[in-house]
Amino acid sequence: MAAPQPSFNPKKLWMNFHETYSQVMDGEWDLFMPQQAAGLTVADMKETTAQFQKLIGDAKQNGLRVRAVGSSWSLSKAPTTNGWTLNTNRLRGRLKVKPADIDPAYPGTADQKAGLYLFQCGNTVADVNKALESDAQKRALFTSGAANGQTIVGATQCGTHGSALGFGALHDHIVALHLISTANKHYWIERASRPVMSKAWVDGLGATLKRDDDDLFNAAVVAFGSFGVVSAVVIETAPRYLLETHPTQVKLTEDLWKAIGGLDFSVAPFNGKKPYFFQAVINPSGDDVLVMANYRHDGSDGFQPNYDLISAPKSIGPGFDALCALGVILDAFKGVIPAFSKLAAKQLFDTTPKTGTPGMIYGYKPPLLHVASGSIAVALPDARKTLEILIQLYKDIGPVPLVFGCRYVRKSPALLAFNRFATGLMISIDGVDNQHSRAFFAAAADRVEAAGIAFTQHWGKSNAYTPQRVAKAYGGNLQKWLDARRKVLPTIADRAVFDNDYIKERGLAP
Amino acid sequence: MLRRVIAILAMAAATSGCMQYLVQPPQPSLAGTPQTVQAQSYAGGKVQQPGFITAERCKNGEQLARVLVKRNFMQGLVSWITLGMVAPATVEYSCANAGEPPMGGGND
Repeated sequence: MAAPQPSFNPKKLWMNFHETYSQVMDGEWDLFMPQQAAGLTVADMKETTAQFQKLIGDAKQNGLRVRAVGSSWSLSKAPTTNGWTLNTNRLRGRLKVKPADIDPAYPGTADQKAGLYLFQCGNTVADVNKALESDAQKRALFTSGAANGQTIVGATQCGTHGSALGFGALHDHIVALHLISTANKHYWIERASRPVMSKAWVDGLGATLKRDDDDLFNAAVVAFGSFGVVSAVVIETAPRYLLETHPTQVKLTEDLWKAIGGLDFSVAPFNGKKPYFFQAVINPSGDDVLVMANYRHDGSDGFQPNYDLISAPKSIGPGFDALCALGVILDAFKGVIPAFSKLAAKQLFDTTPKTGTPGMIYGYKPPLLHVASGSIAVALPDARKTLEILIQLYKDIGPVPLVFGCRYVRKSPALLAFNRFATGLMISIDGVDNQHSRAFFAAAADRVEAAGIAFTQHWGKSNAYTPQRVAKAYGGNLQKWLDARRKVLPTIADRAVFDNDYIKERGLAP
Repeated sequence: MLRRVIAILAMAAATSGCMQYLVQPPQPSLAGTPQTVQAQSYAGGKVQQPGFITAERCKNGEQLARVLVKRNFMQGLVSWITLGMVAPATVEYSCANAGEPPMGGGND
């Protein structure tokens, strides 16, 4: 059955999901999926492609910019446009890649061949988890961010990561992507070193196969929507597994520094047992650290995942918009921040041990507006020094309603990956959005830079990137990324359609 | 200190009369972006404007994923002055994706 036509809404004000900023635009288009009695087909994808191409062509003709937007989850302005937003979060088709559609040269193992899935751009991380972890598929993501509301393409285009010690970020699952860049060109992009889909399948889609250039793939996979509309991705997955969580609150001792600063798990509370997922949340107003060590158990037969988020009938907790008012109070009364931080930690961090699939553990959370979050990544050898700099900054400028979440991610081949270091410490600075938080984000980057530490910043969160900082962080990769963008958007007019202020201010749209 | 007191008084004034209620399913799946509608309730809800709110951006049989009813300071003030006879509010709704699409591709 044919897909319904895109529907225009002359809405002029767009806000991100967490309502930390707004953007004036020229309207939004809702795109819809065809009815899929038997699941997504190549014919469905062709139809959606034609709809995207028509909108891109119309925008170009009218001198408008365009951005595909998923869940509007980013805390940075990466997804914004002053032209049309194309709402993709209804495009939730998915298919398991058939062996017959896999290129004979695909170098994956038998298990990897059995675990290739295509997801359209509008699937959220929650959707992906539920689809993969079903009894019919019994697969799972290798890693996941803390939240599950982002679309798979929105999250990966901005470099979302988790803290699985042996894996990269969410975008490192991707082995192929479908890019719609102009009114008359769309591409199926893979690494030359890792062909995935057969040429016949790609020809059936009507896409131009780009598989001769690893740089193009590695550029397009983390590109903030600046290369065009990423309409679908193919990911590699793991056999379904369970995570057993062991959250504990401990003091920041020299022993704990060994784990936080060097991933040495010989110390308490790990006692020699290396977790699959590890996160330490440092409260800089004291010496409390919440340690989250999740251990992996393979084999999950008979386990029934339950993803429901249920509010306890009589419980009291922060309301949807609580942080807005709280931000004002904490701006005025900085002295109460340490007490608030302790209270918030109890509210926000579930310290009950549990066992579940990754989709359950990193599942639905109570919705909160006006959160603040920015992340800085450094190489593991610089971990302790960087954290000490940030703790000192906290002391210097006074209490700020923020905590430091320490996560660890392996290096990605993506050219502008946030996870740029062999093993990186991602310091997620999270809390309440107010003046002091925003000042802290800016000062944090200044201090780490002044100390001569190489660092990157999370593209989808508050960041203090300048063209100089991007160039310094990514070196030669930056020019390769810019060159790759010109390959799929060859003219200035083509690129202008997908330009926005966010990439211009960072030297990514010269 | 005076600045702090002023700030907290301003915030107290700005939030008095305000309220928010959020309703969503245990596994929300939002379709499109949130849509905002201004609504008025008269005489304790005996009369409403609009009489009821149609979630018109929910197309092709979509249901609702989230409804947020909120009242800001000015809306609260109007309600207070009129003893609730006029009670304006802002309703924000998000459409819902219907269920889980089937997995395509077959098993061969």
